[in-house]
Amino acid sequence: MSCLLRLSGVHFDYQGQSVLRQTTFDLEEGSCSALIGTNGVGKTTLLRIAAGVLRPASGSVLLRGQPMETISVKEIARTIALVPQQLELPFEFTVEQVVEQGRTPYIGMLRGPGRSDRLAVDRALDLADVSRLRHRIFNELSGGERQRVKIALGLAQEPRLLLLDEPTQNLDIGRQVELIDLLHFLRDEGITILSSMHDLHLVDKNFSTVLLLSPGQPLASGSPEQMLKPSVLERAFQCPPDRHPLLIERAELYRREAR
Amino acid sequence: MEIAPSASEAVSAPVRRPGKGRLGAAPLLGLLVVALVVVTLASLAIGAVPISPRTILSAMLGSHPLTETQRLILFHLRLPRVLASGLVGSALALAGLLFQGLFRNPIADPYVIGSSGGATFGACIGIFFFSQWSIFGFSGTALFAFIGSAATMALVYSLARSAGRTSVVTLLLAGFAISTIFTNSSYFFELLDKTGTGNRILISFLHGVIGIPTWNELGVGAALLALAMVTALPLMRTLNTLALGDEYAQQLGVRVEAARVSIVLIGSLLTAVAVSLGGMISFAGLIVPHVARLLLGPDHVRLLPVTTLAGAIFLMLADTLARTIFAPTEIPVGILVAFVGGPFFLYLLRKMKRSYTV
Repeated sequence: MSCLLRLSGVHFDYQGQSVLRQTTFDLEEGSCSALIGTNGVGKTTLLRIAAGVLRPASGSVLLRGQPMETISVKEIARTIALVPQQLELPFEFTVEQVVEQGRTPYIGMLRGPGRSDRLAVDRALDLADVSRLRHRIFNELSGGERQRVKIALGLAQEPRLLLLDEPTQNLDIGRQVELIDLLHFLRDEGITILSSMHDLHLVDKNFSTVLLLSPGQPLASGSPEQMLKPSVLERAFQCPPDRHPLLIERAELYRREAR
Repeated sequence: MEIAPSASEAVSAPVRRPGKGRLGAAPLLGLLVVALVVVTLASLAIGAVPISPRTILSAMLGSHPLTETQRLILFHLRLPRVLASGLVGSALALAGLLFQGLFRNPIADPYVIGSSGGATFGACIGIFFFSQWSIFGFSGTALFAFIGSAATMALVYSLARSAGRTSVVTLLLAGFAISTIFTNSSYFFELLDKTGTGNRILISFLHGVIGIPTWNELGVGAALLALAMVTALPLMRTLNTLALGDEYAQQLGVRVEAARVSIVLIGSLLTAVAVSLGGMISFAGLIVPHVARLLLGPDHVRLLPVTTLAGAIFLMLADTLARTIFAPTEIPVGILVAFVGGPFFLYLLRKMKRSYTV
C-alpha cells in the first residue's frame, strides 16, 4: 500500500501553548484509522492540519509525497474532506443546497453544477441516508440528522481521504452502528479514513490502526489490540484502572486472552 | 444499504415539502420586471403637475408630443430622479446582500455596519476639498465616497474579527461607533463653508435626499452598478460556500481572503454609488435582501437579480411617496425609509435574540 498522507515532525502552538509536538505518522491508502486522546489534547487541530486548513509551526505534511503548501486548495479539496464537529448556518439552506457545496472544488466560478455534480450529490445523499431530507431546512434538523448531512457534504467532495471529527457525537447507538457500517462501506470503496473517536467501545473492531495523542507525549500508533490495552489507556487518559467500566472490561478481556 | 428510520427523527420538525414557501426565481423575476415598469410609470406620472401614464407612454412612442412644461418636468426633473432612486435602491440592496452573506448575518447592511457613514464622510471631503476633481468621469465626491466606504469596512471588519470568527456584537458596536464618528465629523465641514452651497449638499447627504442628478452622474452610477453586478456574479456561489463558515469554505477550496477582499470592495463601490446619488439612506439594504430571501431562499446566485430589481422598485416607491405624501413639502426619502426600516431592524434583532444572549 502506498502512503497517502504523511505528517513528519509536526509542531503546532496555540496562544503560546504547545498543542502538538513532534507528531509523525503515515496514513496508508485504504486504511481506516481512529484518532483517540483526552479532551483538548489536539485531535481537532491534528485533523485540521491533515486537511490543510491549518499550517503547522514546523514539520511537514505530504500528500502523496508532495508538500501540502505546494498543492492548490482546490486540488486538496478534491482529495481530502474534513467533516467537522460543528456546522452552523446563518440562513435557511436546504439539505440539498448544503450538500451541493461539496462540489465547490469541481465547479468553476462562472459555471453552475453539471450532471456529474448532481450525480455526486445524489450519491452522497444516498450513502449518508439523507436523500429523504434533501428539501428540509438544515437548521431545523435534529443533531443526528445534521451529523449525517455533514458526512454527505464531505462525500460530495468525492475525496480519497475522509477526515471525521467525532462523527458519533449526537448519535444514538443505532445510528452509531449505521455510521460504522458506512465507514466500512467507504473503506471497501477505497476511501482512506481517519476519524477522531470519543467512544472507545466503537474503536476496537472497526479500525485497523489507532493513533493515540497524550498530553506532552509524541503521538503513538499501533493496532487496536496494542493501543487499547488497559495500561496504555490508563496512562493516556490518566484514569484509575478500577474506576471506568471500559478499563475494567478490557482488563478482563486481556486476562481471558492471556489464559 | 438498508437503514431504519432514526429515533432522533421522530422528534424533529415535520417534513417540509420541496420549495414550500419559496418561489421560483424566473416567475419572481418576471413579476419584478412588470412591477418595475408599473412603478416607474407611476413615479413619473405622480407629482405637483400630474402627467397621465398614457401621455407618458404616447410621448415615449412618439405618437403624442408633450407640452413644453410637461417635457421639462418629465425629462429634466422626474425621469433623472426616478432613475437615480432606482439606482440607489439597487446599489443599497445589492450591497446589503453582499455584506449579509460575507458577515453571515441578516442584519448587516451598509448603514448598520458603518459603510454609509464612511462613504458620507469621504463624499464630504470630495465636496469641500476636491469639488473640481474628475477622473474618467468620476467626480471627487464619488471617488472619496468609495475610499471612505472601503476604509470603514476594512476597519469595522478587522475590529469584529477575532480568531477567524466575526463577532456579531462587535460588528454592530464597531459599525455603530464608526458610523456615529464619521456622521458627526461630517458636521465639522459646515464650519469650512463660506457660501452655504456645501452645507446644503451636506444636509441633503445626511438626511438621505435623492436630488436631481445630471445625465452624466446617472451614466457613471449606472456603469458602476453594472460593473459591480458583473464582478459580484461569480462571487455569489462563493457566498453560498462562505455561509458554512470561513474554515469550511477554505476546506472546500475557496480562497477565503481573496473572496472577502473582493466582496468588501464591491460592497463599498455600491455604497459609494448610493451615497453619491442619495446620501445616507438607512435600512434599505437590510429590508430588501431579507424579504427576497424569505421568498426565494438563501441561494445568492438566485438572489442577485431579484434583490437588484426589488431594491430599485422599493426605493422608487419610497421616493415617490417622500415627494408627494406631504406635498408641496418633500420629506427626505432617508427619513421615510428609516420609519419603515427601524422597526424592521428591531424585529430582526428580536428574532435573533438568542445570538445576543450573554
